[in-house]
Amino acid sequence: MPYEFEEILETIKMTQVEHFDIRTVTLGINLRDCADRDVNVICQKIYDKITRIAKNHVQIANEIEQRFGISIANKRIAVTPVSIPFDNLKKDEFIKVAETMDRAAEAVGVDYIGGFGALVQKGFTNGERELIQAIPEALAKTKRVCSSVNVASTKAGINMDAINLMSHQIKETARLTAKDGSIGCAKLVVFCNVPEDNPFVAGAFHGVSEAEASINVGISGPGVVLQAIRDAGKIDLGQLAEIIKKTAFKITRAGELIGRKVAELLGVEFGIVDISLAPTPAEGDSVADILEAMGLESVGSPGTTAALALLNDSVKKGGLMASSYVGGLSGAFIPVSEDAGMIRAVQKGNLSLEKLEAMTCVCSVGLDMIAIPGDTPEEVIAGIIADECAIGVINDKTTAVRIIPAYGKKVGDMVEYGGLLGSAPVMPVRNLTPKDFVLRGGRIPAPVRSLTN
Amino acid sequence: MNVSEQKIREITIEVLKEFGDNISPEKLREEVYKRVQSFKEKPSVSQNSMDSGRVIITSYGINKPGVVSKISTILAQNNCDIQDITQKILQEFFTMIMIVDISQSPLSFKELHDLLASAAEEMNIKIMIQHEDVFRSMHRI
Repeated sequence: MPYEFEEILETIKMTQVEHFDIRTVTLGINLRDCADRDVNVICQKIYDKITRIAKNHVQIANEIEQRFGISIANKRIAVTPVSIPFDNLKKDEFIKVAETMDRAAEAVGVDYIGGFGALVQKGFTNGERELIQAIPEALAKTKRVCSSVNVASTKAGINMDAINLMSHQIKETARLTAKDGSIGCAKLVVFCNVPEDNPFVAGAFHGVSEAEASINVGISGPGVVLQAIRDAGKIDLGQLAEIIKKTAFKITRAGELIGRKVAELLGVEFGIVDISLAPTPAEGDSVADILEAMGLESVGSPGTTAALALLNDSVKKGGLMASSYVGGLSGAFIPVSEDAGMIRAVQKGNLSLEKLEAMTCVCSVGLDMIAIPGDTPEEVIAGIIADECAIGVINDKTTAVRIIPAYGKKVGDMVEYGGLLGSAPVMPVRNLTPKDFVLRGGRIPAPVRSLTN
Repeated sequence: MNVSEQKIREITIEVLKEFGDNISPEKLREEVYKRVQSFKEKPSVSQNSMDSGRVIITSYGINKPGVVSKISTILAQNNCDIQDITQKILQEFFTMIMIVDISQSPLSFKELHDLLASAAEEMNIKIMIQHEDVFRSMHRI
């Protein structure tokens, strides 16, 4: 069928004006065959395997980018959570593993590599404890390595001991990377119900049920949705949902096409398309702007959660039809530092931590890239993480916390990261403590919802 | 890139045919290894990995004489077949969209891309070249 003039112009406009790009093409690599008694042998095996499989990853992605005229913002790597194959290692040895991952990522030209993590929703193995102990130093000593730890799931409940430990490690990471605005914390996520095929860092890893290697794609495109809503003018909410669905369909189809081509050329399996709307700090590429274009005075006003729910659900419905394999996080992201509209709302005092928490009930990821005062006590961070986990566990969805207790910073300060990480205004946290609750420790049992059989 | 066992077997049979059954095992191994390696080192996007050989060339900018002629000359010189062309002029701006079959062209996609990019710079207009697949997947179910 011939193409209409308007159809071609629409695609050109999306890519050239509205910031439509493929946010990430992530190559997942299994490391379970790299186990050994000797850490030096392990590191050699890891380095060899990553550089062998990912050797052409960036080059192929660049060629595909040029061929379709759609930019691929990030080319990344995810590996098996390293606590699983290397459970015999000690803290210092895990740091060596992180340094090896960093070197391998640098050698193949990717900016981030995910998978320095553990799944401890029910309890810790010895190796997992050692790995978690290694996280702050590992993140401080490397540039590209990202870490994620899953501390809760609908099936297992909430591991409060893990939350307490992670809260301590978050603070420690902030301290060790203080001179760079505590940037280590931007590479560390605490998850509930973590997906195994998420292509987005910092939470990306190659799950244990995945194939030897696979390509997962994350789309972007808040700018495209924003423009479609603005162009639509005054229409009712049902029609608004329809507009978003159609736009999501188109961008997901492009994502799927690109993912399949990269996978084909790399000779690995194509995994999933993650249909998340991922904002960037670029003006107009913002989820907050979409919510405001829907009619809110500012993101954070009453009605924000409803507007976000409509957006998130419509994106899913459009995306589902467009791709045979949808997975990963697949929901709108609401990071603060990476979204110009969110930053504005926080600076004006329109958006609070509590409202963000409510918003996480209806979209993916949770409290993301939020800077809080450096002197926030560990127990308070544990309380924040526990709340997010509760939302995830009870609603059978993924939630996460990527929070930055910016060392030495106070409410109102800005922490600058540059690039896709943007800049984060330090947000106030309520001066109340959940200490006696969280320090009881133990595990909150799995909810009724877990008994589905 | 991984090379499947099937592919290695095919390569081995190919070598055997070429050298005959009297080839020594060492020579066979060496020859197969060499070919598997060279097979591995070809990751670049080949023309036939795409579903169709058609691209969509979009150009826009300030209108001036000779824009269409310049682009179509480049295409003709390189054996590219223009299958459809639409042009609109809005005040001093022009937009032109061409659907072009490049499957018979001696140039690779990248070479054509670079050639058009330098022409665009010369004429101070924008030229974009994109594979047809992206439009098909976004606008056709």
